[in-house]
Amino acid sequence: MVETQEVIKYPLDDYLRTERLPHIWCPGCGIGMALQALLWSIKELHEQGVIDRKKVCFFTGIGCTARASGFVKFDAIHALHGRAIPVATGAKLGNPSLIPIVFSGDGDIAAIGGNHLLHAARRNFDILVVMINNMTYALTGGQLAPTTPTGVRSTTTPRGNPENVMDTTKFVASLRPNFVARYSVTQPTILRTVFKKALPKRGFRFIEVMSTCTEIFGRHTGFRDPYELYSRLKKICKIKKISSIDEIKYDWENEITCGTFIDKDDPSFLDMYFKMYKPRGMVYGES
Amino acid sequence: MRVEFISGNEASAEGAMTAGLKVYVGYPITPSSDLFEYLSEKLPERGGIVFQGEDEIASINALVGAALAGAKAMTATSGPGLSLMAEGIGLACMVEAPLVIVDVMRAGPSTGIATHVGQGDIMQSRWLSHGPYNLVAFAPFSAQEAFDYTVKAFNVAVRLRLPVILLSDATIAHTRERVVIKESGEIEVEDFKRPTVPPEKYRFYDPDPRDLVPPMAFLGEGYYIHAESLSHDERGYYDTRPSVYRRLVERLVKKVERNKKSIVASKSYYTDDAEILFVAFGSVARSTLALVRDLREQGIKAGLFRPISIWPLDDEKLIEASKRAKKVVVVELNQGQLVEVIEDALWHHQRYDVEVLSLPMILSETPSPDEILDEINSKGWKLW
Amino acid sequence: MEKARKYQIIIAGRGGQGILLAGHILGKTLVKKGYYVVHSETYSAETRGGDSRSDLIVTIGEEPDLIRIRKADIAVFMFDEQMERYAKWVKDDATVILDSTYIDKPTKNWSKIISIPFSKLAEEKVRNRRVANMVMLGSLSVITGLFEVGLLKEVVAESVKPEWRDVNLKAIDVGFEAAKEMGLG
Repeated sequence: MVETQEVIKYPLDDYLRTERLPHIWCPGCGIGMALQALLWSIKELHEQGVIDRKKVCFFTGIGCTARASGFVKFDAIHALHGRAIPVATGAKLGNPSLIPIVFSGDGDIAAIGGNHLLHAARRNFDILVVMINNMTYALTGGQLAPTTPTGVRSTTTPRGNPENVMDTTKFVASLRPNFVARYSVTQPTILRTVFKKALPKRGFRFIEVMSTCTEIFGRHTGFRDPYELYSRLKKICKIKKISSIDEIKYDWENEITCGTFIDKDDPSFLDMYFKMYKPRGMVYGES
Repeated sequence: MRVEFISGNEASAEGAMTAGLKVYVGYPITPSSDLFEYLSEKLPERGGIVFQGEDEIASINALVGAALAGAKAMTATSGPGLSLMAEGIGLACMVEAPLVIVDVMRAGPSTGIATHVGQGDIMQSRWLSHGPYNLVAFAPFSAQEAFDYTVKAFNVAVRLRLPVILLSDATIAHTRERVVIKESGEIEVEDFKRPTVPPEKYRFYDPDPRDLVPPMAFLGEGYYIHAESLSHDERGYYDTRPSVYRRLVERLVKKVERNKKSIVASKSYYTDDAEILFVAFGSVARSTLALVRDLREQGIKAGLFRPISIWPLDDEKLIEASKRAKKVVVVELNQGQLVEVIEDALWHHQRYDVEVLSLPMILSETPSPDEILDEINSKGWKLW
Repeated sequence: MEKARKYQIIIAGRGGQGILLAGHILGKTLVKKGYYVVHSETYSAETRGGDSRSDLIVTIGEEPDLIRIRKADIAVFMFDEQMERYAKWVKDDATVILDSTYIDKPTKNWSKIISIPFSKLAEEKVRNRRVANMVMLGSLSVITGLFEVGLLKEVVAESVKPEWRDVNLKAIDVGFEAAKEMGLG
């Protein structure tokens, strides 16, 4: 006779579609850590009555990170490659009480979705964008991303990447949205605090999360061991207080500067729209 | 109810507002921009938001988001913009987001002639995106129909949970006419089909077996919906099994066929005894109707079948209109697209006895009746 | 004229003469009267000086088919260059109305030609040449008998910006009076 084992419930089970687990992410992948930090922050904000989890919606594009929409127990849209930001934008226009979170990868957001990123940030549009940066196209097998360090091999640049690399955080910061930060999955506790800070804010909020892709990026850079890749990222992701955004570095060899680089409360797009156009019968938050 | 003297584009905008438009997202493109501008002025006071996307890709994707949030959503564009919306329209079909796209057709291909009219988007409107799917397209032939069929486009969109295209053209869009504008209550305005079960029993893609359309919960209501662009089961969960894929795709395609009777629209003129049946739509049908009237005055038994729903075609009415016809002449402002749809429908109904003649007009203006007649004469068909 | 069921009207002139507005106002007035009206516009890219043309098809008791006129029953030319260009669109037996400020003699021998110096009247009596289009519409009410001048003024009052209201209404009166004095009613 086998004794019935007590099922131990993981604290985030209520925020996951547990029937869909296990997830697709490889051993050593950092996406889960970033998602965990995000879910913790939502749970805490919900329990503190700051936000209503029913209003939280996940919008993802296509890629490894984008698969998160299938695992979280929220309203979630798994949209087209690169288009999570405009879908989230439309949802917020359709119901301004929603709390949209775009959660997607670097290829999705910085490459094919770059134009949408640019304009959402410029408008200070009321969404949170979390970009998980693993420096490669992982789901499709390791092609070149705009975030792939110069010189690093990819399946489409077999002799090394000849291009300049894109520092997405520096780029977004130049557009002066309300919140811009970069951290790493090697800083999980800080990530949780930062998500918690950014989530209830208005306007455009961008958080880049440096992550580990052992299977693909690790293979191309000689870090097949998850521990080694994690350690390397931990070493170069340096949290700094800066006086100008020009000081931040995106250098795989030496330093990827982390920190909260912009945190302000300028009127958001919807603040401005509601003030100037006064759509009849509609309200936006406390405005 | 009020009578206005407005253009086709303005009439579409009015129709959208009557239908309860809440979110308009657009990107400027001639000859559709004046519709955008008209709504920018009027929609906020009617309780909606107008937003300019960074491109047409942003616009169509934003509509999907707005629709899933429970807003009636619309955009207007023209050929080049519609081309950019291809993938987003496929997404709307796949996640079953109801929305309306006004395509004001202009002279193509490519940038073509921005300010001039064309009718070259017939096939594009149906086969724009990759893969198997189905959608609906209506082509108005007057400002009044631009109003009426924009309302109907919204009704069909929310009833069937899919994108509906209003296939207007530059001439209809910019011609001012007398339009009777009705408000909700004076004209039928349908609401979203809503869930009837509690959230824990609800599935985002669980179809009503009668019409194959799943009732729709909105974002933010606690149903925890999962809208999925990948092949999915009734819960929206990614599933690559052939049986699941087949069930999904067959339903996406069949839901239009199943509900065809409530979608199709057409108008027949002088067809009871017509031996020569003209087929034309949109602004070209105006001139063709005038030509048919001229021919009637000369004692020639000509008639006109004018499809309003292009996708799906009102094929039963076509068959009825062509019952005495020996020749069917399809007049259109492109290289010959509608003719294939008409021929297909006639053959489908075993009307092999009818000779289908294609009269493509490569012009960048709506042809006059005389220009159509000249074109017919130049073919040497000996129709009369 | 009352017996015909369908009127095809062309109004043409130079850009800046208010041709498109005149067509719009005329159409709106005729719709208020209860007629079906189809109004299309042609204009060149330049805001001033190019071609400007309004086509109106008015049907009484029957839905219209055509969008563009085939041949006009009523033609209004506000400038000689456009008269020459568009004369081929006018029936031989049409009523042709010319702004004699800019047109010395008609291109063709139409059967009914009425010359009124709309622009000169606007300049002299309203002190604003830009409202020649409204002077013309005032006269057109008398000449065609298709619509009452009061209805026209109602439409203008609700269509133009408040600061332009009085000058436009005055221009209509000027045109109306001018046509009456000529015994055209």
